[in-house]
Amino acid sequence: MSRLGIFVDRKTLSNAEQLNALIHCRDVAEKLGHNAEFLFPVDINKIPRMDALFIRARTDPMNITYVAARMAEFHGIPVIDDANSIQICGDKINMYSRLIQKNIALPKTVFLSKNDLNVEKVTELFDTLGTPLIVKEPSTSFSLRVEKVEDIAGFFRVARRFIKMSDWIVIQQFVESTYDWRVGILGGKLLYACKYTIPSVTFKIQASVNGHVVYCGVESMPEEAVPPSVIRLGIDAANAIGNGLYGVDVKNSNGDACVIEVNDNPSLESGEDACYPQIYEQIVEYLFAT
Amino acid sequence: MNDRYKVPGRTGDWFGVDQPARPSIRKQTAVREAAVSNPALSLHLLQKKEPAMVRDAPTVVRRDHAYHVVAEDYSYKSEAYYTILAHELAGDDVRPCSRAVLDAFVVPVCLERASHAGIPVVPWGISQGYVPLPAILYGLNYFATTSDYTVVQDTTHAKEVIKHITNMGKYPFCYQKIGDSTAIHTCTAIFGRTTGNDYEIIAYAKKIYDLFAIPLFSMVFVQTGNNYALSSLTPTRYTHLSDEERASLSAYRDHQVFL
Repeated sequence: MSRLGIFVDRKTLSNAEQLNALIHCRDVAEKLGHNAEFLFPVDINKIPRMDALFIRARTDPMNITYVAARMAEFHGIPVIDDANSIQICGDKINMYSRLIQKNIALPKTVFLSKNDLNVEKVTELFDTLGTPLIVKEPSTSFSLRVEKVEDIAGFFRVARRFIKMSDWIVIQQFVESTYDWRVGILGGKLLYACKYTIPSVTFKIQASVNGHVVYCGVESMPEEAVPPSVIRLGIDAANAIGNGLYGVDVKNSNGDACVIEVNDNPSLESGEDACYPQIYEQIVEYLFAT
Repeated sequence: MNDRYKVPGRTGDWFGVDQPARPSIRKQTAVREAAVSNPALSLHLLQKKEPAMVRDAPTVVRRDHAYHVVAEDYSYKSEAYYTILAHELAGDDVRPCSRAVLDAFVVPVCLERASHAGIPVVPWGISQGYVPLPAILYGLNYFATTSDYTVVQDTTHAKEVIKHITNMGKYPFCYQKIGDSTAIHTCTAIFGRTTGNDYEIIAYAKKIYDLFAIPLFSMVFVQTGNNYALSSLTPTRYTHLSDEERASLSAYRDHQVFL
């Protein structure tokens, strides 16, 4: 009987839905005939005894999930998310560079070094990319360090804050939309698709508004209801990163689909799988087949 | 053939990496060799001819089709990290690679890789609270750096340090149990070479350089009797280098007599 390790970090479990999704994942693996067990950070030395590892915790190259992924790789154990995906998706400079290399449609994107943070350069950015601009700190997750700026003063306020965390930051053209497509890809194939409806009080899928966190609405969508160009773009974008599990955010305003970002470790607990009840079966089978 | 390399916008203007301006140096081979074999002379050359090594400004040196990125700080999202990344994206042979710098400065990953390469390492574990004492503690999160390791001998001190490096219990940390009579020994390696005479350390520095290809790093060893075990690799500030090490780095970097 094969053993599946589900790597979790209780410190990043924030709601009952996440817990239920983890238990569902374990149940599915057991139903498929595998032994499944949760591994916490202190259990990292158990990873070599597993036959596959599924990381379900907030990933970053500087945290314990990277250690877990590397430990699995050192011992030849198939892992989702692999360290390469964590490294690329954890850093938007790295991620967008790879998408640009593969000619994936993106909003106009510029990387700005802290050495180039001056009025002339910022004026040029507004002239080139338009107003407003989106400024991103490269390692942000859940849109935490993504800001929309309307003028040069606002740009400097945000950029100076982000530059303290990264020597380079991302500047993008603002693309307006009321929802994002989230296309889930596993091993280069469509796994699920859903719509994230952006709250009217913000431009992000998650934001803190007046001290309250507002979340996007999630609506699982059957494959036939998703424009084929969006699915194709999602697959191409995922393939530009790697061969694992990704959630690709796509905006499709006026029929011009563009990728907003590619996420490793995509959320699966908020109803994304309503039209795709076999998601965990597919993930577990994929892990043991690789 | 050796040459100095400047990267003016390798993958477009948005990813151009300005290198510190370097004067053209055309020294005779004899002078270069003398500088390396005689640190005092190369220090003299450094003082007379060379610009200061600049903090946060990586230098890229090319030799035999490979680009060597020399920096004091290779941390994630630093200028050096993105310089390496730009070369990787351009398809260049660059050393170190971005994976190596991530691996080298995340303690458990560094030790696992070193162990696989036959380098003795200190046994380690991950904890969220308990540690066997005495121990060396390392933070394991976005804000941690391997330079900030702490040796704890008693429970009170351990609790205080753990509270700090875990941000009040938010993150796990890495601990290494050490013996009561062990000593901590640190040593700087420049292109895998040290200025000391301990043959064991010299051999480990070479192996570690072969593994990660990082031009400048410090090694933290736990010494028990005559045996050393690697505890971590840490970044090294130029200001922390001894005169001899600065001379050595400058000679390797600018006169291209390394490797």
